[in-house]
Amino acid sequence: MADVQLENIRKSFGRHQVLHGVSLHVASGEFVSLLGASGCGKTTLLRILAGLESVTAGTVTIGGKDVTGLPPEKRDIAMMFQSYALLPHLSVYENVRFPLRMRRIGSREEQDARVRAALETVQLGHLGDRRPRQLSGGQQQRVALARAIVSNPKVLLLDEPLSNLDARLREDMQVELIEIHKRLNLTTLFVTHDQEEALSLSDRVVLLNAGRIEQEGAPGEIYARPRTGFASTFLGSANMIDVDVVEEAGSAMARIAPGILLPLSPGERARGAATVALRQEDIMLSATPPGVAATVRTRVFLGARNRYVLTLGDRSIRVLTPHDTVFPDGETVFLTIPPERVRVVDT
Amino acid sequence: MVRAAPFPLRIAGIVFVVLTGLLLLAPLIVVVGVSVSENQFIAFPPKGFSLRWYQEVLSSSTYLAAGLVSLQIGLLVTVSATLIGGAAAIAIHRRQLPASELIATVFLSPLVLPTIIYAIGMLMFWSAVFGSVSMMTLWISHTVITLPYVVRTTLAVLAESDPFLEEAARTMGAGRLRCLWFVVVPQCLPGLAAGAFFAFNISFDEAVLSLFLRKPGLTTLPVQVYGQLEFSPDPSVAAVSSIMIALTILLMIVIDRMLGLGKFASP
Amino acid sequence: MSDRTENLFLALPGLLLLALAFLLPIGQMLVLSVEGEDGPTLEHFSRFLLDPFYLGILWRTVRLSLVITAICALIGFPLAYIMARASPRTRLWLTIMVILPLMTSVVIRTFGWMVVLTRSGLIPTLLRDMGLAERNFALMQTETAIVIGMVQVLLPFMALSILGVLTRIDERLEEAARTMGCSFLQTVRVVILPLSLPGIVAGSLLCFTLSASSFVTPSLLGGARIQVLAASIYKSVTQVLDWPFAAAQAVILFAGILLVLAPYIRLTRQDRG
Repeated sequence: MADVQLENIRKSFGRHQVLHGVSLHVASGEFVSLLGASGCGKTTLLRILAGLESVTAGTVTIGGKDVTGLPPEKRDIAMMFQSYALLPHLSVYENVRFPLRMRRIGSREEQDARVRAALETVQLGHLGDRRPRQLSGGQQQRVALARAIVSNPKVLLLDEPLSNLDARLREDMQVELIEIHKRLNLTTLFVTHDQEEALSLSDRVVLLNAGRIEQEGAPGEIYARPRTGFASTFLGSANMIDVDVVEEAGSAMARIAPGILLPLSPGERARGAATVALRQEDIMLSATPPGVAATVRTRVFLGARNRYVLTLGDRSIRVLTPHDTVFPDGETVFLTIPPERVRVVDT
Repeated sequence: MVRAAPFPLRIAGIVFVVLTGLLLLAPLIVVVGVSVSENQFIAFPPKGFSLRWYQEVLSSSTYLAAGLVSLQIGLLVTVSATLIGGAAAIAIHRRQLPASELIATVFLSPLVLPTIIYAIGMLMFWSAVFGSVSMMTLWISHTVITLPYVVRTTLAVLAESDPFLEEAARTMGAGRLRCLWFVVVPQCLPGLAAGAFFAFNISFDEAVLSLFLRKPGLTTLPVQVYGQLEFSPDPSVAAVSSIMIALTILLMIVIDRMLGLGKFASP
Repeated sequence: MSDRTENLFLALPGLLLLALAFLLPIGQMLVLSVEGEDGPTLEHFSRFLLDPFYLGILWRTVRLSLVITAICALIGFPLAYIMARASPRTRLWLTIMVILPLMTSVVIRTFGWMVVLTRSGLIPTLLRDMGLAERNFALMQTETAIVIGMVQVLLPFMALSILGVLTRIDERLEEAARTMGCSFLQTVRVVILPLSLPGIVAGSLLCFTLSASSFVTPSLLGGARIQVLAASIYKSVTQVLDWPFAAAQAVILFAGILLVLAPYIRLTRQDRG
């Protein structure tokens, strides 16, 4: 394993610039997620690291060695693709052995041992003779993973590898990824558009927006303290409300409308027109005051939780509650939210 | 056979198919029939049954020589067309060259030009530059006209392959050449094989090109047959033709195993 | 090496081959067609186009090709329709029936017709027995023979071309028409025929082109007296050894084909754009 340094990466496709000077350091053994919406450049960044795309400007360094101009086969990496990309004309065993063959790692016996170990790690030891088309989606995914770890690469790159799996399999694979990472301690870069996935798997989350790093940090940190409006909406489902921050009785309040005020945390400095982010899961509903009054418009049952769409004045507010909190349509409910959870963000 | 059609139409349909089938297959049936005729007159239905014409053909030096020429050219053309056409198909499929569409059209263009026009052009060009024609001339011109078939079948197979396989192989340490050999070629092998067999079949059966580009000693089998037909043929011509038909059927079976003939029901 | 270089290497042999062994020969032919003793001349062209004998050959070629194409379309359309709507197994056998003649040498196929159509052949004998023909009736060396032989050769092209379009027509369109009151034949006329027109047109162009430039079948079945353009070219090359004239005829043939194809190509370009 090795550390990765991306320095001021710029990438344009023709006249369209996709990455605007991205710099990122990944420590050896760290699990970093590149998170963002479609088109934000996260996959392009990963492919640049893999050597599948060239850079328009900037440098890529792996383990202290400048690999910017090198083709993929000359970088000590392994990559897992969204569509698995298993070689259909080879057996599962030969698929996993392929990197060892191409990189000429070890003797035949050593390769055999490593392949078997990798297949055992993903619990597919008994399927070595099968062809990829005979396997289920989840099994193919595991073969792709075994193939990626078998050569003990300096960097492991994963391009939305779990997107094609159904919810249950995704969960299982996420757990497996965490365990494998703990065991092998490979430097890993993981691309996803699913913020829950990023938050649950990574040591560090890098949020990308339109080719720039919006924010990066540990999952808990970035979730609790999103610094921008974009970060707030992307991580956790937030209601963005335009307010006027005023001072009342010595403490800052967010005025949503005349007479409707939300207390802000004591240290809040901002004043005047601003935007606050209220996470759906942070807002609490009660049938009785205190709180800001709102009317229930719709309830969406999500199984473990309810999502309420409430009308507050001329605004629409969404709130997530436990599944047994039930209010009928048209009812007046009262919202409260801990002041420290009301984030004033720069829009 | 045809669903939802009224009964009398269905009967008419069956009759129609039978008659059309007869139209399409009659010449072949006739030829095979004549080849086993006992006497030396060409007649159908044949009188008697005898395999003597096959014996004559297989011991005739002219036919054997012509067959050898056809076989040699066929094999040479199969190799050249498959290599050149396969490589071109891979390059076109990757779509990374400017104007890949245009290049694809260029490779398919020999299909559009009538063979006789090409034959004349080739004869005149070769004579002007190299003098008299040779095996090389036939080899080159047959390759040109079979190239589009190889390109087409290979492209068809490549179109259904996983577009990420090459990239995956590169990230696994395979350089360009090894990627081609270990990943791309296995992917398009059915298309290459089908194209190869098409190339052989077309080259072997090709008459017009070989008619214009011939000289004494450089006669292919179809040209030999054509020559016999112009004068007074005896059933040995039919015997040769039957052998060629058998070869074609064999090739068709092989192609069906490789690709499935149903694929040629659509362009 | 970059991606682009690698692909260039792969495509280069083919491109070189086509440039040198395909484009150049055609160029040479074009040059030769205007070759004269004192420089470029159009005398070969005028020799052809101003001589009623040669114009007769040209007219015969065009006329026969139109007839052949029409017959191929008339037979090819129902055949393709039946193939499209048949069960997979039947379709496979029908495909074999159509492709097998396609893959045998044209010389062999023409030979088969020669046997059947000659004076003592099967068909004239049958016709005479049925009282439909006179004693010396022979189909060989007639234009009818050419048409029969060429239809057999070209029918598969037409059928496959139409089949390709037919398989893409949604069967439910037919079903919808039937539920709206159309009879089977009406459905075919009103729904299938218009939608399969692209295939019919493409097949017709292909048949016309191949028919107009065809050499082996017309020569063997028509004999020396009934010449088509391709036979005239062959004669100029091998017997008369007047290569410039042959080249001019080839250019005329090529130009004629392009004339027929051009509006079609422009139409499909517009569609795509």
